[in-house]
Amino acid sequence: MSQPDDELPELDLRLTQENLDDLYENAPCGYCSCLPDGTLVKLNHTLLHWLGYTRPELVASQGLQQLLTVGSRLHYETHCAPMLLLLDRVREISYTLRCKNGATLPVLMNAELRRDSDGNPLVLRFTFFDITERRKYEQELLRAKAQAEEQREQLARANELLTTKNEQLTRINADLDSFVYTASHDLKQPINNMAGLFGELKRVASFHDPEAEPMMQMFEDALQQILATISGLSEVVQLQRQLERVPAEEIVLQPVCEEIIRSLQRSDEVAAQFSLDFAAAPTLRMARPGLHSMLYNLLSNAIKYAHPERPPRVHLSTQPNGDQVVLRVQDNGRGINLQRHGHELFQLFRRFHPEVVGSGMGLYLVNRLVHQAGGHVEVDSTVGEGTTFRIYLPR
Amino acid sequence: MEVLKRNNVTVSGAADKQPMVFVHGFGCDQRMWRLVAPAFEADYRVVLLDLVGAGQSDLSAYDPERYRTLDGHALDVLAVIEALGLREVVFVGHSVSAMIGVLAANKQPERFARLVLVGPSPRYINDHGYQGGFERADIEELLEAMDSNYLGWSGAITPVIMGNPERPELTEELNDSFCSTDPEIARHFARVTFLSDNRADLPRVQVPTLILQSAHDAIAPRTVGSYMQQHIPSSQLVLLDTSGHCPHLSAPEATIAVIENYLAAERMHLV
Repeated sequence: MSQPDDELPELDLRLTQENLDDLYENAPCGYCSCLPDGTLVKLNHTLLHWLGYTRPELVASQGLQQLLTVGSRLHYETHCAPMLLLLDRVREISYTLRCKNGATLPVLMNAELRRDSDGNPLVLRFTFFDITERRKYEQELLRAKAQAEEQREQLARANELLTTKNEQLTRINADLDSFVYTASHDLKQPINNMAGLFGELKRVASFHDPEAEPMMQMFEDALQQILATISGLSEVVQLQRQLERVPAEEIVLQPVCEEIIRSLQRSDEVAAQFSLDFAAAPTLRMARPGLHSMLYNLLSNAIKYAHPERPPRVHLSTQPNGDQVVLRVQDNGRGINLQRHGHELFQLFRRFHPEVVGSGMGLYLVNRLVHQAGGHVEVDSTVGEGTTFRIYLPR
Repeated sequence: MEVLKRNNVTVSGAADKQPMVFVHGFGCDQRMWRLVAPAFEADYRVVLLDLVGAGQSDLSAYDPERYRTLDGHALDVLAVIEALGLREVVFVGHSVSAMIGVLAANKQPERFARLVLVGPSPRYINDHGYQGGFERADIEELLEAMDSNYLGWSGAITPVIMGNPERPELTEELNDSFCSTDPEIARHFARVTFLSDNRADLPRVQVPTLILQSAHDAIAPRTVGSYMQQHIPSSQLVLLDTSGHCPHLSAPEATIAVIENYLAAERMHLV
């Protein structure tokens, strides 16, 4: 609700009424009036006090432009002056005043152009607000902005480098896979021929030397080992190609494990005991062929490297762990000397139990599959007691 | 046409008459000609444009590499002239665009009849035996002043269609965006403008040239005007008794009269 002026409540207004001049001269902001070209006509005391000039030093002889630093003056002439002549006003222009003693004062400037009755520019009115503290803060902001900008550029550059590296690696990886595929494919044929020829040779040839028999056996073993290696290599490549086509999914562990165990027990003469406990985390997130191959290799290893003096017992369990799930596969087998072999545990073709037949492919494959699914593998083992694998996979 | 849109070209005046192309200076846009350009509409085909990066030009076309020097803008001016099929062009350029006009005219002199250079400077920074009026540190100060004036710039100033009486708020917005542009572009253009040195281009000007200077100009002092006149072969210098860097705003009538006189005299000369 507004009241007309004559209904204002009774207040002692004498002070303000009597001091309009004082209000102008000592206002908490700087005032000045100029001719349209900037020549100073009138300045209030506040502004003169800030600048350290007396009135006669400025009025009629200096222009507003001379009160600005060169940078502000350039901005005034190229930006502010045209705007005033075209729009009759400018608002919130941030400038720096140059005082008589050379010091500077950051100000915020508003200005209005008054025109005469013919519409010609008559007088420019300026107000200035001291923004010393605010300017410091703004400069901090600008600095922070520049810094952020620089960091952003650095990040972009680093990112670009990573992308290039990544593309390179992907290419190299694909090349390696196709090399392995070609190599195993090209080896397979002559090795198969050798196996066939050897079988034929065994059937038709007879040897007089008593050492020939064990040598024939050794040759046969070596042949089998090469065949196993080649089929392992093809498996790695085929699995890789399969995984590239199959997306990761949430897979319930119990039935997959049971199926693998059934297929293992069928071919196994010593009865192995398996216990499963997936109550805490019933599923794992992986591509189905990958999960199958990983479990198959872990479980078949547990049987293959069973301790000769006791039947194999394998315990599988899962546990949520933050944003991951841990799958534990614990056996009571021969164990691996991790101090000696730990660093090459997951390398292709590394074997730690030469007395047991194997291709040196299983753990390589397990590790690679888990990495591809975004996880990692940890191992604990005691020689003569058993081994525990912990597979960490993202949920 | 793409070019005409990119440079926000507006054409008015007599379609069949000699073309006059007005190009604005640093810090503003084509609207700074509005007290002068209409005076020529009766006798000329008046073409106004915004330099890329200014006014309502296509800001996305501002490629810092293309506009690393004033040549990029000179090529733009020539592209507009080409797109409109202009010949015998009277080029009127203010401040930095005076030099852009010089560069354009040196590339294709056959397109130009006259150059009118308002408040030109071939180099703003002092050099041995040359008074440009500024030191390099002054230009850094200008960049700082620009930075502190762009704190409130929202980045949301979109091109606005002019002349929409049903929607007065558009006009208000237009006024608010007046002479403002993307701070990064403004900063880059300021650097290109104030650090340029086009003194070597002056003796190569083949087009008759009028240099129009304000008597009291903090950006282009009188010594610079004389320098221009001495180094452009066929040139005249006229001092206008006014202050500031924009005589076409502070003394529009006088500016119009000087340009009209010059063009009329030159026409007489031809006859």
